[in-house]
Amino acid sequence: MLARDGPAIETRGVTRRFESRKGFLFRDITRTDALQGVDLTVERGSIFGLLGPNGAGKTTLTKILSTLLLPTGGEARVLGHDVSRDADWLRPRIGLVLGGERGLYNRVSGRDNLRYFADLYGIPPVEREARIRTVLERVDLSTAADRRVEEYSRGMKQKLHLARGILHRPEILFLDEPTIGLDPKSARETRKLIRSLVVDGVTIFLTTHYMFEAEELCPQLAILSKGRIVARDSVDNLRQLVGGDRTLEAEAYGFEDRELATLRHLPGVSKVVEEEYGPATRLTIRVRTEETGVDEVRRVLPGHDELSVRERRTSLEDVYLDLVEEEAR
Amino acid sequence: MATAAVGYSRWRSTAASLRLSVLMFLADPQWLIPSMIAPVIFGLVAFELFRGAGPYFLTYAILGAGMMSMWGQTLYGSGWATGQDREFGTLEPTLQSPTPYLYIVLGRVVWNVVSGLIGGGIVYVVVVLAAGGPPSLPNPLAFAILFVFVMLSLAAVGVVFAAFYVYTRYAGFIQNIGEFAFYVGTGCMFPVVLLPFWTNPIALVFPPTWALDALRYNSIPGYVGFSWGFEWDLVGAVVTTAVYLAIAGTVFHRVERHVLEVGNLADF
Ligand SMILES: Nc1ncnc2c1ncn2[C@@H]1O[C@H](COP(=O)(O)OP(=O)(O)O)[C@@H](O)[C@H]1O
Ligand SMILES: [Mg+2]
Repeated sequence: MLARDGPAIETRGVTRRFESRKGFLFRDITRTDALQGVDLTVERGSIFGLLGPNGAGKTTLTKILSTLLLPTGGEARVLGHDVSRDADWLRPRIGLVLGGERGLYNRVSGRDNLRYFADLYGIPPVEREARIRTVLERVDLSTAADRRVEEYSRGMKQKLHLARGILHRPEILFLDEPTIGLDPKSARETRKLIRSLVVDGVTIFLTTHYMFEAEELCPQLAILSKGRIVARDSVDNLRQLVGGDRTLEAEAYGFEDRELATLRHLPGVSKVVEEEYGPATRLTIRVRTEETGVDEVRRVLPGHDELSVRERRTSLEDVYLDLVEEEAR
Repeated sequence: MATAAVGYSRWRSTAASLRLSVLMFLADPQWLIPSMIAPVIFGLVAFELFRGAGPYFLTYAILGAGMMSMWGQTLYGSGWATGQDREFGTLEPTLQSPTPYLYIVLGRVVWNVVSGLIGGGIVYVVVVLAAGGPPSLPNPLAFAILFVFVMLSLAAVGVVFAAFYVYTRYAGFIQNIGEFAFYVGTGCMFPVVLLPFWTNPIALVFPPTWALDALRYNSIPGYVGFSWGFEWDLVGAVVTTAVYLAIAGTVFHRVERHVLEVGNLADF
């Protein structure tokens, strides 16, 4: 097969403009440039995360890559095939989970939903029931399989969405915000399930606006902000990107500008951000070297009775907020 | 992962869609109204309406009421089910699957034809019970065959209507406007020749107009329909039905492309 060794996903300058008409006789046309030139390469066989705030264009890109939407510009290839021209080739090889409350036939059972889609994907009749059983076990939905979907909880529906997504054994699976709206326990189970899928060699393209989720699941990720990729790297490199991999936090009831300035001049300090934290103020200090630590910060902030200083791991969230914030400016 | 399933099978997709239609029907008692109760009411109303209108009034009543209930089943059924796909959010995963949407619609149409014929059967029984005896049909077998044929010609229109529902979420609105014109225009209740002359060319665009005229010629002695008579009615019905199905094939292909361009699949 042509695309065996190439990247799973390759896009060049992908744009997407939406035109929505409102008002009498469609007079007002609103244009939204949801994607403004997306270049992205995703290798096969792992989980790739696309992280971005609401409205960044994650769903739009997911739909373009899964042949549900055509780009208005640029080029996108999945498994080596053009998404606009080779949709027929791609569709059987793609799994898509848009998730949510919708997208299922609520009046029939979970099993009947899967039977229907199994047939639409041309799964041989002799294999169908066994395959459905396996998939249902995998998402832990076996006991509820014969109940109507309308009786399912939000988490169970999400499991059914996932079951449908993997039923035809796709080579690449698109998951658009797979844990959104789930309670913490269901979200954890879903993440566990997603991780287990990579073992099978499936490439997973996952979008999320939860930074911790991307950090937990995705060795490689890209950050999308306002229709543009603003960063694309491994989690470790992304941490490096915003000035070192250590973060110190100092909390007290108010700091003076002079103190902030002193902090900024400590060795290795790349960034100091001040924010209200309840009645207190919190300083987030990004540090690049070992010279500056908790003790050094304490020394330059004397006279605060309630001062607490601690070191924590720089989370992807820090990186992410920095990037999205920079983009916003 | 092991071998990926590649492609789809037309008949299996159509069968899956038919199966789901039946399951949805069984799961929702509100369907009993159009499919079981409406034919009873149509039958009774038509019986009263045509009572005493000539020696063949029973046949007129059966055809009129039968068409009304079948019309609702097919035309409305296939379009409406597609509208539901929008509403449920199932249009996207369905279009994302390898199966062209046309086969999903065909499966629904098969179900609508079956349930439409059941409705027609109910009408027949109701009118016969009300009249205290069956109508005098010159050729009952030909009547039955032509009845099914009319149903199929209706189904062809239903397929084209379904394309509207994929195209836009405003299809229901369009269909509601077209509904009355279509119902009167195709001569569902009254023979088209009784309508103002200018409506005739419009009516001829619809396959059921031809099929129904043929059915009347066949079952009502002395019936005066289109001047070209029974045989050409049949030819017209077959040709227009074939044209509709051919159009449906192309239209669906284009519509599927169009919605990917516009990106309105998730609208409902
Ligand atoms: N069908 C559509 N019609 C018009 N605008 C749209 C449509 N889909 C998305 N948009 C707009 O495109 C932008 C990106 O949306 P989306 O891809 O859904 O973002 P995300 O999934 O990251 O939250 C938003 O401004 C959204 O309002
Ligand atoms: Mg989204």
